[in-house]
Amino acid sequence: MSGINSSTALWYASRATGVVALLLITAVVLLGLLVTRQGRLPGLPRFAVTGLHRNLSLIAVVFVALHVLTAVADGYVDIPLTAAVVPLASPYERLWLGLGAVSLDLTIAVIVTSLLRRHLSRRLWRGVHLLAYLSWPVAWLHSITASKDLQHGWLFLLAVACAAVVVIAVVWRLAAAARDVPRAERVGHLMSVMHSRHRMPERTGRP
Amino acid sequence: MITATAGMPVGDTATGLPRLLPRGGQPEGWHAHTARHGRLPYRGHAGDLIPELSAAGLTGRGGAAFPVGRKLSAVLDAARSRRRAAVVIANGAESEPASDKDATLLWLAPHLVLDGLQLAAEAVGAEAAILYTHANRRRDVGQRLRQAIAERAAAGADRIAVELAEAPPRFLSGQETALVSHLSGGPAIPTFIPPRVTERGLGGDPTLVQNVETLAHLALIARHGPGWFRQVGTEAEPGSMLCTIRRADGTPRITEVPLGMPLRGLIAGPDGQGLLSARAVLIGGYHGSWVPAAEAMGLTLDNHSLAAVGARVGAGILITPPPDRCGLIETAAAVRYLALESAGQCGPCLNGLPRIAAALTEIAVGRQRRQTQGDVERWAGLVTGRGACHHPDGTARFVRSALLTFADEVELHKQGRCSGTSKKPYLPIPRDSARTEEDWI
Repeated sequence: MSGINSSTALWYASRATGVVALLLITAVVLLGLLVTRQGRLPGLPRFAVTGLHRNLSLIAVVFVALHVLTAVADGYVDIPLTAAVVPLASPYERLWLGLGAVSLDLTIAVIVTSLLRRHLSRRLWRGVHLLAYLSWPVAWLHSITASKDLQHGWLFLLAVACAAVVVIAVVWRLAAAARDVPRAERVGHLMSVMHSRHRMPERTGRP
Repeated sequence: MITATAGMPVGDTATGLPRLLPRGGQPEGWHAHTARHGRLPYRGHAGDLIPELSAAGLTGRGGAAFPVGRKLSAVLDAARSRRRAAVVIANGAESEPASDKDATLLWLAPHLVLDGLQLAAEAVGAEAAILYTHANRRRDVGQRLRQAIAERAAAGADRIAVELAEAPPRFLSGQETALVSHLSGGPAIPTFIPPRVTERGLGGDPTLVQNVETLAHLALIARHGPGWFRQVGTEAEPGSMLCTIRRADGTPRITEVPLGMPLRGLIAGPDGQGLLSARAVLIGGYHGSWVPAAEAMGLTLDNHSLAAVGARVGAGILITPPPDRCGLIETAAAVRYLALESAGQCGPCLNGLPRIAAALTEIAVGRQRRQTQGDVERWAGLVTGRGACHHPDGTARFVRSALLTFADEVELHKQGRCSGTSKKPYLPIPRDSARTEEDWI
């Protein structure tokens, strides 16, 4: 491996920002899953979890942008700017960079609809937002296939760890949803727990 | 005072009451209706009726007492600025189990309500009108209304068609946003405001929701003018209102009284028995307040007077239980019902009301722990103002007033005693509660 010099700086920057972007979008997905369950983080009020989810997603976009721009700017391999958003437009690693473009397109849709959320119906916003669950795996695949960095060593373990926590979080999310008491049954459910101690049979009870 | 006991109103020439219910207590058909009130005085132009309603000072008779003129203006403005035709909904979903005035009005004088619906629709330029009621409680109101609508069609009285809709048998189904949610095909559960239904209601159209009694008053103001309406009532709260009065025997009596009428006469009853026996009066139903009878005797039936004891006129429900019933046991049963009727969507209401109900039951059966009463006070404070609708607020008010009014009884219960001697439940409480989402649709 050669060191960093003026001709490789952009290439290394692209790979580094790519790894950070993967970590960030993983964190955003985990926080999003937590938000859907109205979960808390230690020491943070609930609205701060939502705020963290939003702000981290915007930071992730910045890193993805840097990742893309440095890759395009680097002259060693030929990656046209259009390849950032148009799948299969890059002669270099056509398929694997295409995955990156697909993931970025999905992310842009999610981010734009969230920024315009107050003008959209909840149903439309949510429908688009669910694309995040497609965007993350595609981005992950792009990460481990587009460069050799994440295919061995510590970075490989990092990529596997990211995938593992996302899978665990999704399973936790689905299991939690399956345990939900339907709205109409919630009160009855609580009442039966609460009132099992003192019954007022037929409203006739004199103390 | 005009009383319709089991549908037998008597006239009172001095006050001109009753205005709404027909004398004689027989359901009024189209001919009897037009003979008594004349034809519909359409104004011919949207908005023309609104200044008259504002001048009359008519307020909503469903419980909230919102100025009718202002609500109609809001709907008309929204309809004009958004270039969408409004929708008018007559709300006859009288969900309060102790109340029977709307059902009685719809049964005896359906044409007056339907007149009001047409005139309100004209006033806000509405192109659709819906009459929303509960299914048969004791009388087949739905059949009565279908018959009335057919009579009007034959007479050519209506300018827009009226659609009938049935409310699910839930306590909250008459709440404005729940009603719109239900009519949109969803469950009858309240939604968050904004948007207000006056801006975006049914199908996104500006929507006017008025209680059926309010519409009946509106139909009479359109005929006789604001001055006539103000002949009874107080300066600040003019007009008359229908009240449901339950005395010791528990039978609901529907009475049309002027606002500002002394409660003394209403509690006493025709034979004056109520004065001797009553210990406390429940004013405003299960979202209302208990008031010690001695205090209530000095009050009048208007929000200005009742504010002194933290009570409100609400939908005009006055209940004086017989002295052999325990106010705590009765309240605990009613609060249990209210908790079961929570829509289960807002945390404070969902988690708070069952806890409050359980604690009240502990107090009622004499098993309260040292912290129970403090818990109830705390929870009542925690749920207030924190729901999409006022269900937690109204329930908390009801509970607090009971603990205050029956403070002596609470002490008695701590010692394992109770002043109630009858085991018969007094307050009317529906048996069924919702089990699945279907029960809300």
